Amino acid sequence: MSGSAAQAAAVAVARAWRRGWAPAVPAGRVAVLRAVLYPFVVLDVLLLTDDPVPHGDVPVQLYRPLALRRLLHLPAPSPGYVRVLLVVLLLSAVVAACGRLPRLAGAVCAAAYLDWLSNAYSYTKVDHDHVALVVALLVLPTVGAVRVRPGSGRGTPARVPSEAAGWAVRCVQVAVVCTYFLAACAKVRFGGWDWADGAVLTWAFSRRGTALTGAVAAVPLLLVALQWLVLVAEFLSPLVLRLRGRALAAAVLFWLAFHLGTFVMLRIHFLPTVVCLLAFAPLERLVRVRSARAGSGGGALAVEPAAGGGR
Amino acid sequence: MHTPGEPAVAPAAPRRLGAAALLWRGAAALVFLLLLTAGTLRGSDDGWPFAPMSQYAFAVDLDEEVRSPYVQGTGTDGALRRVPLTAGGVGVERAEVEGQLARFVRDPALLEALAAAHARRHPARVRFAQLELRERVSDLSGGRVVRVRDDLLASWTVPDPRHPLGCCGGSAP
Repeated sequence: MSGSAAQAAAVAVARAWRRGWAPAVPAGRVAVLRAVLYPFVVLDVLLLTDDPVPHGDVPVQLYRPLALRRLLHLPAPSPGYVRVLLVVLLLSAVVAACGRLPRLAGAVCAAAYLDWLSNAYSYTKVDHDHVALVVALLVLPTVGAVRVRPGSGRGTPARVPSEAAGWAVRCVQVAVVCTYFLAACAKVRFGGWDWADGAVLTWAFSRRGTALTGAVAAVPLLLVALQWLVLVAEFLSPLVLRLRGRALAAAVLFWLAFHLGTFVMLRIHFLPTVVCLLAFAPLERLVRVRSARAGSGGGALAVEPAAGGGR
Repeated sequence: MHTPGEPAVAPAAPRRLGAAALLWRGAAALVFLLLLTAGTLRGSDDGWPFAPMSQYAFAVDLDEEVRSPYVQGTGTDGALRRVPLTAGGVGVERAEVEGQLARFVRDPALLEALAAAHARRHPARVRFAQLELRERVSDLSGGRVVRVRDDLLASWTVPDPRHPLGCCGGSAP
């Protein structure tokens, strides 16, 4: 291959890479994601993943630190440590949710959340519903400030397409898809290709069934059909990254219905992944664009948050 | 849907990333993706966040058994109670006891840690003097539960029930 051909190929690859990983997305989508995900972190640590504080009371004999905690030399949870961590986590999440200090508060929140979750998982029970949210917290600070109001200082205006915002959004989308696709891979790795023909749902229902599960469990064939549906949908999930418009909306609705189903049947909510599905939605439309009434000559435009959206 | 909706105004020029900014972002995304994939294909829970996405990933035979562990204990008042395997009860949940079931079986003295955690979280409640780790076993046939049994896995008598693992001082109930 001649030098110039190789050069052209390299340029083409770089372009495709840029299109795939850093599409220009209105910065407003990141502003809305921050306004949803950081408050969700508050909700999560207070209500959903709330065992790190009780873990502070558990004797170290039962503490089995993850590689991440051993690598970073994080100490074993104690009553004081977990309470300080909780305060740092809540404060940083609230500041970041308000769109203030997006890089600093966002970075502190991401680090504190990793400490929090690795604490939650260091007693031999590891959940897999937080990976997309962890990725979101890691990438959101890289976007920097987004301006959602006219005349409120620095930052990328919400309506301006930004590749930095696009990279962050894309990372969250890919992390959500990984959660599904890799779950299918894990089923084949640990359960074999006949996982879907097995009795995993019967197993789950007999351990944490609800009223509805009794009726469903009476039909083992239906359970096997559901297991196949899950496996096939998870393997096909990477297609979501290529969809647009109605097809994308339909795919996202399918996953929402799936999570609602597992919640109704098994009380497994997977909310940390569910909120990250928002990265697929045109959230920037919540930040309404309008002409500035005054003070912005030359046809410049200002934006303000729509009711309920924005900051 | 990473293209914006049709704006009501003339589109602004996109803010592009420089070569270096794009390069480190691309490299970071790629490394994370590789670690995540390797975690599921080869790794274990220990590597979280690069751990296998293995919830409900194991095979359950339609004719095998489903095991569900629980712990019960005799209090210093002589009454038999369920030890609450919840974050609120003893700081660890049932799944976290289940995850180290083999350790409890090998070393039943670990059960005293549950008594200590319970005493720390509920100083006013009756303490446990003797604990038993048991399993409720449901036998499946053709995917249906046909029989339920109960197995004893480990038991431990706390040497000083008022101060499990020397915990909590004071005048315990």
